[in-house]
Amino acid sequence: MSTVTENLYLLTPEFLLAALALLVFALDLVLPESRKTWLAWIGMAGLTALAIFSVRMLAGRTESLYGGLLAVDQFSLFFKVFFMGLGVFIILSSVDFVKQHLSHPGEFYGILLFSILGMNMMAQARELVTAYIALELLSFSLYVLTAYARGNPKSNEAALKYIIIGAFSTAVLLYGISMIYSVAGSTHFDALAETLSSPGQAGPVLWVGVAFLVAGLGFKLAAVPFHMWAPDVYEGAPLPVTAYLAIASKAGAAALALRLISEGLVPAREVWPHWQIILAALAAASMLVGNLVALAQRNLKRLMAYSSIGHVGYLLAGMAALNIGGGMAANGIIFYLVGYAATSLVVFAALISFFNQTGQEEIADLAGLADRQPLLAAAIAIGLFSLAGLPIFAGFTIKFYLFAAVAQGGFLWLAGLAIFSSLISLYYYLQVIRQMYIQPVPGTAPDASGHGEEPSHTASHGQAVAGHASETAAAALRTPTGMLLAVVVAGLVAVLALGVYPGPLLEAIERASQVILPGI
Amino acid sequence: MAPLVYFQILSAALFVIGLYGVLARRSAVLVVMSIELMLNAVNINLIAAASHLEGQGRFLNFDGHIIAIFVITIAAAEIGLALAIILRMYRNRATVDVDEINLMKW
Repeated sequence: MSTVTENLYLLTPEFLLAALALLVFALDLVLPESRKTWLAWIGMAGLTALAIFSVRMLAGRTESLYGGLLAVDQFSLFFKVFFMGLGVFIILSSVDFVKQHLSHPGEFYGILLFSILGMNMMAQARELVTAYIALELLSFSLYVLTAYARGNPKSNEAALKYIIIGAFSTAVLLYGISMIYSVAGSTHFDALAETLSSPGQAGPVLWVGVAFLVAGLGFKLAAVPFHMWAPDVYEGAPLPVTAYLAIASKAGAAALALRLISEGLVPAREVWPHWQIILAALAAASMLVGNLVALAQRNLKRLMAYSSIGHVGYLLAGMAALNIGGGMAANGIIFYLVGYAATSLVVFAALISFFNQTGQEEIADLAGLADRQPLLAAAIAIGLFSLAGLPIFAGFTIKFYLFAAVAQGGFLWLAGLAIFSSLISLYYYLQVIRQMYIQPVPGTAPDASGHGEEPSHTASHGQAVAGHASETAAAALRTPTGMLLAVVVAGLVAVLALGVYPGPLLEAIERASQVILPGI
Repeated sequence: MAPLVYFQILSAALFVIGLYGVLARRSAVLVVMSIELMLNAVNINLIAAASHLEGQGRFLNFDGHIIAIFVITIAAAEIGLALAIILRMYRNRATVDVDEINLMKW
């Protein structure tokens, strides 16, 4: 059985990542309560080292492990580095939050590391059951992280809804896998493509199987009509976990879907057009529902949830446009994921900083933020402009690239719809910006907006209308702490860099997408 | 050997019963049990398909059996996690009725 074990060493980064997570769990037992922050630093240092190590070890290699179950190639390498980098920033932005609001920090970081391991495996899986196990590693970690605020009934409710709908969608996904297996006799992605294109075997059982598979993945991606869990889970989860759900878990599911569709559905040329239409319908529904329902939201986390459903719509539009020889759509999807991640990091890091100081998360609570803390307001505004897709920022470049690819792939109407729903999204992003820049600070007269207020905690006169606003609500806020500031600044640099000069990143992305869609 | 389609019908029936349970049951614990039924439908499907493919003269196809073991294992872990979360819910809210778990809507 030399074929199974001879290149097992290619998985060294994954083994080391699992060891790192276990190390964090073990150290958690011996470190005194005051030193738990070390665990975060160990996690970040380990992730950074592993990302560098993976690049040095795996750059330029294309190999397959365990008889084709896993692929160690440029696609998975790109996503591995992307996920581990994201992990560093998510840990960095959650340190303060965990210290203030959550107990048991060691397990928080350890579980976070395991979920990154799950995503790494998802990007490498070339077989349905491997993909399923990796997906479950990610999902289980997310269920626990969502429930992490133990005394908070909202966090509890979110976790319960998440695990019930998650387990349900897993059952649907598995039922699809079992149908595919009963026809194809194999669960490899390429066997799926072969079976789909051979007329003797492709019958209703196989089609139902693939439909269930798409539905199961739709649940994980939170695409309409499988999105009902997302807003509740986003609202109830602790804020850094919401950021993680919105950015990383979405990217993980998208990486899996991208490889599955490119290797399992696209090569079946005769039937791929039918699935293209189904994906396009899902994309159109996600864009419209996500962006339209976002208009009515009052809570910032729910707003970000519906906005992320809209963004999933754009990603699915890219997936519908995938084609042999049309690598532009694959490039567009990966590029979109990176740009979206950078932008969302800015917004979420700023929101976490705001929440840590005030404990508020409604849109109305942001009123007058530009006076209270100009840096935070500017960061959120830039992030939201980028999410809406205005030029100079990353949001414009990624949308331009992806929508152009969608139009080129024969879905001009879908690209038009995407642009239209981007316009809708601009409206509710601007509502938030209006709160920050035009509305007065709650509790002060509209004309008394002080310029350059000292960052002191002077109590404001008069109670705010909102009722729950505390005395310090109207006072100027402190600048974000060093760690959150680092995330915000790094995110802003990335947003501007991707918006102005995306060339080097696009080259790396092209190398990645060439692996899954050869013949460009 | 009975044709594969009999097993598929059995499995589909079990899956739909589970689906009905998920939608209609009000206790979170029973919802989790219904999900377990859906996963068992998957296992029947997998094992029937594996023995059927074997009988067809394809080379010994163990994949289905192996996948079924994976499904059982992971389902057990999932149930453990779900029950832990439900227990937490019960401690905080003194109810596991999914109709009353409605702090967040729309």
